[in-house]
Amino acid sequence: MKKYLFFLLGLIAFAGCKKDDVGTKKFSFEKPVHFPEPTYTFDKNPVTKEGFELGKKLFADPILSVDNSVACNNCHVKSVAFTDPQHSLSLGVEERSGIRNAPSIANMAFMKEFFWDGGGIHLDFVPPNAIENPLEMDEKLAHVVYKLNHHSSYPALFKKAFSGIETITAPYMLYALSQYQVMLVSASSKYDKYKTGDEMLGADELEGLEVFEQKCAACHSGELFTNQDYRNNGLDTEFDDPGRARITESDADLGKFKVPSLRNVALTAPYMHDGRFKTLEEVLEHYSAGVKQSATLAPELQQNGTLGIPLSATEKQRLIDFLKTLTDYDFIQDQRF
Amino acid sequence: MKKLLFLSTLLVSIAFLSACKKDEDKKDPGTLEINFDNIAIVNGVEKQLSLVAPGSADYNYTNEMGQNFNINLLRYFISAIELDGPNGEHFHDEMSASASGAKGYYLIDESIPSSQRVMLENIPAGNYNKITFTVGVDSAGVVDGAAGGVLDPATNKMFWNWNSGYIALKFEGQSDVSNGGTSGTETIADDNQKGIAYHIGGWKNIPGTAFVYNNKQLTFTFDENVKVESKNAPELHMVFDILSMFKGDKMIDFTGNHNVHKPADGVDMANNIAKAFAYDHIHQ
Ligand code: HEC
Ligand code: HEC
Repeated sequence: MKKYLFFLLGLIAFAGCKKDDVGTKKFSFEKPVHFPEPTYTFDKNPVTKEGFELGKKLFADPILSVDNSVACNNCHVKSVAFTDPQHSLSLGVEERSGIRNAPSIANMAFMKEFFWDGGGIHLDFVPPNAIENPLEMDEKLAHVVYKLNHHSSYPALFKKAFSGIETITAPYMLYALSQYQVMLVSASSKYDKYKTGDEMLGADELEGLEVFEQKCAACHSGELFTNQDYRNNGLDTEFDDPGRARITESDADLGKFKVPSLRNVALTAPYMHDGRFKTLEEVLEHYSAGVKQSATLAPELQQNGTLGIPLSATEKQRLIDFLKTLTDYDFIQDQRF
Repeated sequence: MKKLLFLSTLLVSIAFLSACKKDEDKKDPGTLEINFDNIAIVNGVEKQLSLVAPGSADYNYTNEMGQNFNINLLRYFISAIELDGPNGEHFHDEMSASASGAKGYYLIDESIPSSQRVMLENIPAGNYNKITFTVGVDSAGVVDGAAGGVLDPATNKMFWNWNSGYIALKFEGQSDVSNGGTSGTETIADDNQKGIAYHIGGWKNIPGTAFVYNNKQLTFTFDENVKVESKNAPELHMVFDILSMFKGDKMIDFTGNHNVHKPADGVDMANNIAKAFAYDHIHQ
């Protein structure tokens, strides 16, 4: 009898252990093996289940906007890898049109700088830009903090997520939002499974990968498919949006924008900083026949005296076959997000 | 006998002396209160600064170019404070920044008198005759992300969201010669055509680009030593002269750029700011 009891106890203990393991694994940050080191400052703000859940709630709550009408996920929609599928230029409170296209926020834990011009230098500092921008949420940080402190459930949720805090303050709200966002890691596309040796790419896709490595990877490099640098890829001759020059205040950077990651790119239309292209076909047409000359045009796009990247019709088709392997269905269906 | 007495007295006094010496070395650390007095030096006379309500057309100051102006708001960051003494005494104020608070960063606000007194604690006992500090928040205070205390962007209103970084010094006011409106201010109404807004900042060294560094590290030597030890409570008075902000190698013309919100536009004024601070006096 005693023996059985012991056995039973052991089993319970074991099960308890196991459950716990799964729990912490699910809600702590894990770097995919083939990814670079993250840039996020986890030492200051480690991810916990409570912090992540709180960030998730905040991300979906229009309380962050002036008239309680716009949430982060209005412009960063999960089903399309956290971009805005409808609007070339983002749409804020009172249907105000912004100046840029909402990018995907997958894999933010690995980015050095944020926004199309790189003006953000830390993920924590991204939300205030959306919250206080008159064209986005048009609210004041201090007032968001006030609303959260007077809310029926947030004060308790913050106390659970950040032990020892008395009242909600902006930095803790930003910590929570970052905990949610750093977890949005997209690394299980067909391409990733090919990389980790779990799945094969088809012949067309492999051909596309080869073309990509030859003609695109100078800028869209590495496992994030961006060198995280700023380039003018020949969209315009005059620049309504100064791009990187807004931050460097140098004419040499006029019309340069952050090289975007291409992960989930088949889902993230419309394309470019102003969402001017509706399809990948249009994007490739731009690279092969639409690149415009200007003083800051990237050297990669004017080699041997020709503008753009020569691409045959088959190469374009193969490139699109390959780009589609970057779609991460596990990511957009992840129950945690 | 006499000899013995002499010897023992000698011994005792040596013991005493060395005890004394030991005491001297082991003096408990003390404090130093630094006062940042914002003033206007008019005709060589230091006057306490006075703020006016936003929108007021009462102009109580005149810049070097003879242009009238007034002030609604003056706020600046002081950080990285160090003290040095003639005999190698050294103290540096501990700095840290995270959501739970910020150490070693001070936000001086003309409208909040208590903010103008910075209390340094745990300074090794000794004499000090030199102070070094930075006007603004350098990269260490920015690169680790959101922080609380005076670095909380919701309460300090000193953060550039579009170009992450803390504004080092924020000035808002009005001048009768200003030639247009301002944007993104705390105190100036959007339709006020007389506003002058100077938000001075810039900490980031971008590779391949000229470094626009508008935070200023300043050092001042005192005309006497400050004696720091546990039983003293010395006070150091630094002054910041608002009129010096608008003069220097480059005069600030209110008819010119009266709405400064990015690093490059603030360079001239940042250079003037460096000369607007001065050591004033010490209370021992
Ligand atoms: C009105 C639409 C809108 C809302 C609401 C919005 N964003 Fe964005 N988001 C954008 C746009 C547009 C950009 C690009 C801005 C730029 O480059 O200047 C962006 C950029 C970002 C980026 C940087 C992506 C990159 O690759 O650099 C992150 C992260 C982000 N948003 C998170 C958030 C969070 C968190 C919230 C809620 C607090 C939020 N956004 C609310 C439209 C929006
Ligand atoms: C010289 C560097 C460079 C090269 C080479 C390059 N790109 Fe780009 N790419 C960029 C930049 C910069 C942008 C963003 C430009 C903007 O929005 O103003 C971009 C944007 C894109 C986008 C839009 C992504 C989005 O989310 O909006 C796609 C798709 C893309 N590139 C695919 C390609 C492909 C395919 C190739 C090879 C045929 C290629 N790029 C070659 C720099 C480059």
